[in-house]
Amino acid sequence: MKHVLPFIFLIYVSTINAGGVYQEPDAFIAEVFNDNVPKPGVIWLDKDIKAQLKDILGHNYKGLRVRYWQQDDRTAWILDEIGKDKPITTGIVINQGRIERVRILVFRESRGWEVRHSFFTEQFDDATLKQNRELDRGIDNISGATLSVRAVTRLARVALLLDQQLNKPRAG
Amino acid sequence: MTGRKPKKFTAFLWHRRIGLLAIILVIILSITGIMLNHTESLKLDEKYVDSSLLLSWYGLQPSGEAVSYDVGDHVITVLDNLIFFNSYPVGKSEQTFHGAVKTEQLIALAFDTEIVLLTSDGELVERMPTGHSFSDIQRIGIKYQRPVIETSGPLYYVADEHILDWDAVTAENITWAKKITLGETKLKVLLESFRGRGLTQERVVLDLHSGRIFGEYGVYVMDAAAIALLWLSCSGLWVWWSRRRKLRKKRHFQKHHRKQH
Repeated sequence: MKHVLPFIFLIYVSTINAGGVYQEPDAFIAEVFNDNVPKPGVIWLDKDIKAQLKDILGHNYKGLRVRYWQQDDRTAWILDEIGKDKPITTGIVINQGRIERVRILVFRESRGWEVRHSFFTEQFDDATLKQNRELDRGIDNISGATLSVRAVTRLARVALLLDQQLNKPRAG
Repeated sequence: MTGRKPKKFTAFLWHRRIGLLAIILVIILSITGIMLNHTESLKLDEKYVDSSLLLSWYGLQPSGEAVSYDVGDHVITVLDNLIFFNSYPVGKSEQTFHGAVKTEQLIALAFDTEIVLLTSDGELVERMPTGHSFSDIQRIGIKYQRPVIETSGPLYYVADEHILDWDAVTAENITWAKKITLGETKLKVLLESFRGRGLTQERVVLDLHSGRIFGEYGVYVMDAAAIALLWLSCSGLWVWWSRRRKLRKKRHFQKHHRKQH
């Protein structure tokens, strides 16, 4: 028993402080665009977009504009959403209307940090948005991280929606 | 050995001990109970608490000082991490506030590693984290109607027209944001806004009655006081009954046995 206790303690300590800054947002943007970062742009949120965002998020989006970086058909977004109490900062890259990459950049909650792992974020690869603003695939839950899973899933839908809005004029 | 039996812990003894122990709590329970029965006539729900001690206890008294900056027709204040546009709360930031300026179209607020943009009506436009490329903001100013940032590094940064990106700039012709002290009336309005609708006397009396005012374990203390009251009722009844029985026995003895002598 006395050999097992320190082991249990080590596992406990390694799990309680697993949150934090995994990657600075501007380092993520630099990585996405191979250090050739385009000038940022903004999408202003009109009533219609705000209503759609509220439908996805379940609450009003705080802010009147959202920043993005675009190069050809690729857009990158840094978005925040609260899992339980604190915002999870997530970097999302969309390529031709499909998710290319999802990465958890800053995790501030005390639980649910498992969403940072690639086995979770890779589920979003190639996902797109259906007519009803849902993802075209199911995202598996992580036991004990349900709220974080839901928050990241909502952000993926938000990024896809904003990318669609951005490309609307071109499509027309 | 005296031959006397050791003294037993009788119901009376415990009645007295528990009565003494619970006396203060029972007084609180009784008085607050009466007050709550007459909330409407006492208008407890209409009167607000002024005591700074009680307001602090409830977390309604700010622990820090208000930091205010004049931005033309409006004032931006940060008080205990809450951002106020005049006296309206518009957001939160856990970072140190370094000032606010009015630009051509927006109002820019500077925190350690974040710029918060508001419209001239106080609506949140965007929160811009500065990232590691330039952070540790020291103060914010204005140059050509655009916000300028001084960091702990040697460079100064000026925003572009739409406040999307930043470029290094020389430290000339910058008008730095100046801290102001709020007048008594404005500060009072701000504090009222900070406290929300405030703390009613009814809330305090209710929390005293339930014990919640003493924190998590206060409820259990009041539970103990209620149990003590129950005990006092039972032990009081027992003491009264046993005394009455003894008195009857005594009278019976005096009536039927002593008179024979």
